Amino acid sequence: MPAMRWTGEMSQITRRSFLKVSTQALLAASGMLGLGALLRYLGYQASPPPITQLDLGPASAYPPGSRTLLPDVPALLVHTEVGFSAISLVCTHLGCTVEPTPQGFACPCHGSEFDPGGLPRRGPAEKPLPSLQVEQDAEGRLILHVV
Amino acid sequence: MRPNFYLHLHPPTIPAAQARWRYTLGAGGTAVFLAFVLLVTGALEMFFYIPTPGEAALSVQMLTYTVPFGGLLRNLHFWAAQWLLVVSAVHLVRVVFTGAYAPPRRFNYLLGLALFVLVILFDFTGYILRWDQGIQWALVVGTNLVKSIPLLGEAFYQILVGGAQIGAATLIRFYAWHVFGLTLLGAGVLFWHIFRVRRDGGIAIPPPALRTQRERIFHFELVRREIAAMVWVGSALLLVSIFVPAPIAPAITEITAAASETHAPWFFLWVQQMLQWGDPFLWGVLAPLVVLLALALIPYALPQPAPDELGRWFPKSNRMAQVLLAALVGLVILLTLLAIGSKV
Ligand code: HEM
Ligand code: HEM
Ligand code: FES
Repeated sequence: MPAMRWTGEMSQITRRSFLKVSTQALLAASGMLGLGALLRYLGYQASPPPITQLDLGPASAYPPGSRTLLPDVPALLVHTEVGFSAISLVCTHLGCTVEPTPQGFACPCHGSEFDPGGLPRRGPAEKPLPSLQVEQDAEGRLILHVV
Repeated sequence: MRPNFYLHLHPPTIPAAQARWRYTLGAGGTAVFLAFVLLVTGALEMFFYIPTPGEAALSVQMLTYTVPFGGLLRNLHFWAAQWLLVVSAVHLVRVVFTGAYAPPRRFNYLLGLALFVLVILFDFTGYILRWDQGIQWALVVGTNLVKSIPLLGEAFYQILVGGAQIGAATLIRFYAWHVFGLTLLGAGVLFWHIFRVRRDGGIAIPPPALRTQRERIFHFELVRREIAAMVWVGSALLLVSIFVPAPIAPAITEITAAASETHAPWFFLWVQQMLQWGDPFLWGVLAPLVVLLALALIPYALPQPAPDELGRWFPKSNRMAQVLLAALVGLVILLTLLAIGSKV
């Protein structure tokens, strides 16, 4: 390379390589923009947000001592002398529905087991089955809060 | 004559050593044939299949039981899909056990691996399309595994599922991937892969100076062998599809209600087995990715097969690759057997 001397040129970048670099930069930028747009497009939530509470009907339908399976929540509604309580049946491992057993609950997918209170007894699940909040409204209807 | 893709793949003559059944097992060609069967049968299934939660399982039932030849069509699609997975695995094993991935074929090995992943995705999305109680937990577990990825999981989940929970948006997305997105990607990579086979000098054999066998076969003989393979595989597929129906189960009423089937589809049983060991991300996402990475690194990180040992099984020079692949295959088979044996 000849010694650097002011020759009247602005820089060492030739017109050709300048065009090449800017074309590549433009292509890369529009590629990223397109990809970003595609991700936002695909990320749109087409289905409505899931319901947060569920009307279970008159509380009198669930007499004291009853244990009711609510398959579409899924949850187990328990009525004891203390009152109403509900426990989620969604396995805290990867989301299969657990089944009530004499010892509590068992998951059919990878063998997790929970005690009647929902605490994990056997892995792979590590978190307890969440309890769901139940309340009675003014007309005596049971409202289940599905988190 | 004008050059075309068919002639690119079928030059006037090729070394006989490149087209021996005992060497290639014909697996790559069989995979191309099965992919073609899937395209045709899949396109025909689209005339009856309805991708909505309420109708999907019912439309599959109608296709199976009332449409003339519908059951046969579905069985052909189902069995071709299962065989394609097996045949591409066999092809992969032959490529590694013969050292055929050596340069200049390293890149084509990666293209092949991409095809393998695509076939698995095809099989999983297709399986979900049944939308019956047989697929329910596989869908729940599979999508929740995506969610378990740190940082990006939530966004991936939403893109995959189309909402905060599984529903109509999920089914239509799986359908769009199965019949269009994956088909487009798959067709592109497939053409590239077989284009590269010829570009890389045809099927791997020793370089001309080291060849012991000089015999060549004509274009006509190559095509005759290809047609023979298609006739045999096609007849076997037809026979199995006539007598062994694809699985079918009652429709899903509510995605959370208890389902009859608690096993993953057969090609994911090994992952289901690992999931019992604990952390979902570690065993359900990272572990399978590590297996894939190990496969991808075989041509790059292990001792290369010697040029004069190409064109035959078990060259001494790539023992390491053979041992690694045998270990991986053995592990996956063992985990699968454990999963079949366990009660869950
Ligand atoms: C490598 C390619 C493909 C593979 C591995 C594959 C795999 C599968 C599988 C395993 C099923 C479930 C079958 C069942 O259990 O009934 C399925 C269903 C289906 N596939 Fe494919 N498929 C492929 C290509 C295609 C293509 C190209 C189309 C459309 C052009 C298509 C359309 C369909 C449709 C409509 C169904 C739902 C009907 C049913 O479940 O029987 N597939 N596919
Ligand atoms: C749908 C899946 C696939 C299709 C349709 C396909 C197709 C083919 C075909 C037709 C050939 C010509 C030679 C032969 O038949 O053996 C070939 C060669 C080859 N394939 Fe595949 N393949 C697939 C998957 C794979 C996979 C999973 C790998 C490995 C990871 C792979 C790596 C290779 C390599 C390295 C060659 C060159 C072999 C040689 O020169 O001896 N392919 N493939
Ligand atoms: S989803 Fe319940 S144990 Fe895995």
